[in-house]
Amino acid sequence: MRRTLAIAAKEFYHIIRDVRSLALAVAMPLMMVFLYGYALDMEMKNLPVGVLDYDHSAASRDLVRRMTAGHFIVDAGRLTSREEIDRGFRRDKFRAALVIPQGYQQALSSSDVASVQILVDGADGTTAAAVNNYLNAVIGMMNRELAAGPGGRMTPPLEMRARTWYNPELVSAHFIVPGLAAVILIMICVLLTSIAITREKETGTMEQMLTTPVQAWEVIIGKVVPYMGIGALDAALVLLVGRVVFGVPMAGSWWVLAAYSLLYVVIALALGLLISAVTRTQRTAMTAALMGTVMPTIMLSGFIFPISSMPWPLQAISHVIPARYYVEILRGIMLRGELWFPKQLAIMCVMAVGLLTLAARRFQSRLDLL
Amino acid sequence: MTLREWLRPVGHIVRKEFRQLRRDRQMLRMLLFMPIVQMLVLGYAATTDLRNIRLTVLDQDGTAQSRKLAEAFHQNELFVQGPAAASPQELQEHLFRGRADMTLWIPKGYEQDLTAGRTAQLSVAVDGANSNAAGRTLGYAQAVVRQEEARLLTARRLAQPNLRIPRIEAVTRFFYNPELESRNYMIPAIMVILITMVSGMMSGMAVVREREVGTLEQLLVTPVTPGQLIAGKLIPYAVLANVELAVALPIALLWFGLTLAGSAALLFGCALVYLIVTLGGGLLASTVSHTQQQAMFTIWFFTVFGILTSGFFYPVENMPRVVHYLTYINPLRFFMVITRGVFLKDMSLADTVPSLIPLFIIGFVTLTVAVRRFRRSVA
Repeated sequence: MRRTLAIAAKEFYHIIRDVRSLALAVAMPLMMVFLYGYALDMEMKNLPVGVLDYDHSAASRDLVRRMTAGHFIVDAGRLTSREEIDRGFRRDKFRAALVIPQGYQQALSSSDVASVQILVDGADGTTAAAVNNYLNAVIGMMNRELAAGPGGRMTPPLEMRARTWYNPELVSAHFIVPGLAAVILIMICVLLTSIAITREKETGTMEQMLTTPVQAWEVIIGKVVPYMGIGALDAALVLLVGRVVFGVPMAGSWWVLAAYSLLYVVIALALGLLISAVTRTQRTAMTAALMGTVMPTIMLSGFIFPISSMPWPLQAISHVIPARYYVEILRGIMLRGELWFPKQLAIMCVMAVGLLTLAARRFQSRLDLL
Repeated sequence: MTLREWLRPVGHIVRKEFRQLRRDRQMLRMLLFMPIVQMLVLGYAATTDLRNIRLTVLDQDGTAQSRKLAEAFHQNELFVQGPAAASPQELQEHLFRGRADMTLWIPKGYEQDLTAGRTAQLSVAVDGANSNAAGRTLGYAQAVVRQEEARLLTARRLAQPNLRIPRIEAVTRFFYNPELESRNYMIPAIMVILITMVSGMMSGMAVVREREVGTLEQLLVTPVTPGQLIAGKLIPYAVLANVELAVALPIALLWFGLTLAGSAALLFGCALVYLIVTLGGGLLASTVSHTQQQAMFTIWFFTVFGILTSGFFYPVENMPRVVHYLTYINPLRFFMVITRGVFLKDMSLADTVPSLIPLFIIGFVTLTVAVRRFRRSVA
């Protein structure tokens, strides 16, 4: 135990002396929280739309005004020809163009069908669909008014009341912050530990240490503990900033959350150990950690990308990603106030025990070779 | 000294670097697998499309009209059937437990209102916990309802043939990607991330490694100049990045069935300009790092920031002004515009210029600063 502490102290000094890495280890999660909280949002806004108005009438100006009324669309300016639309798309000047043909006002005042054209840059399919949906919604709205208006006297047939539960303002931080904690923990625990251990191998200091009375497992645990601390600190920081700055709700209990987190940290560290057991150089360890743990965690945990939208092979793979269960737990605790997750807990326990056993075994056989 | 004489030691270092790489079988295997795994996993997972939205319908009206409305939702391929519910409370319970993503409630009297010429009510609720999807889910619901309403309006119009009502009709045309498949947009971007990671991180770590293990000093007592050393250390990673690109490109074209609308030569040419930035960045990070861990962490920090603000997943227009300005110094953003543009929109050289010039400037500045710092650090 004393020797383990000595190793931990040594590793701790390594970390403390390297002020920049430490600063980055803290800055990284903060940057991600603030970016996700303030800047990154799938809810579209400020999408530029160009207007090609051949009608030059009060009605056509009214249509443009209605379209750009919300925050969704900004007027990217008047166009004068069709060629400009294509060039504008290719240079990303606007996402869509509205073409109002001559005779638009005439058709409206003579109670006829007035057609307009919506040309959309489909390259970014999601944004394109949203722009198209929005523009059509505005037109649908205007049609309802035309039907009910002075010439019409026709009651609109449907009224849809829409409600959003649990996160009515659709603050993306509420959704992202719990997932972010899972990603940060993996990044710090797996990436940093696996590199820290392979570093001793690469520079040859692992052999030196093993010639001392220190046992191999003492070295490993000693090296792992400080990173566990940083990981826990980072995760706490993410959740705290999310709570204080972005008002992420905490419907459940912090203590329960901490208990589940501890289990997750153990899994992450076991993964880090496993990677350092099978790699020899730092860059191999880094690549393996990025590809084997960080990327799958970001992609397949449901952190951003909805698992239900994926093809079945990826959905199947997502079942072995520990972060998937941890993210479910965090969201459940923070957003919905649930506390008991028997399924997730059982799976994570099995993962922790399995990975630790595997890592310990690989380590034993590897260190004997040294 | 002629160019050839200058280049000879560079060639030696390049060869040494490749030999080291070749001996590291583990690394080599990973470098080959990386583009394949990344393309396949990201290609399928990194989609902004919503699919399989679990919709629970509670039809308390139970009439022909209400069934038509429910049918309109179910015929939309975006929605799949969620668990059944018998009361509005149960609907809410499904949302709360995460068993349904959206609920539709058609209250009693729906058809009666319609036949009486009144406005019929319906309620849609979504689970806001996933804010990324909730707004768009509502958007899709609105689209379905609007369609149904258009059908009902037409019926009412037919019932009152003497009433003339003006109507606006919109015809939509989608350019470049008519099926609006988000994969076509994401896969070129994944290739950008691939090049960035390989060239930036690997080169940075390779330079620091010599320092960490102590072989940098050994190299410097040889007649090799710092300039030659830099060239020799960076060139292999430029080659490697192109190899990764060459592995990824067939996957994009053959497996995912993308078509390269523009010219491949233009794409590889722009990639070379981009490599100036990433290799310069890797070198710069190595001059401020003593250990590979430091270098990796520094580069990783900027790479993550770069990816998040590049428009890879989150449109740049959505970002607040401050962050929006920051994206103008983000090389990833510019290269992403070029790669996506060449892939999808058949961008010509002239079209890439507005993105290529900033890329050039960023690359030139980064590399100059990096080389100068490297020279000073070894002098």
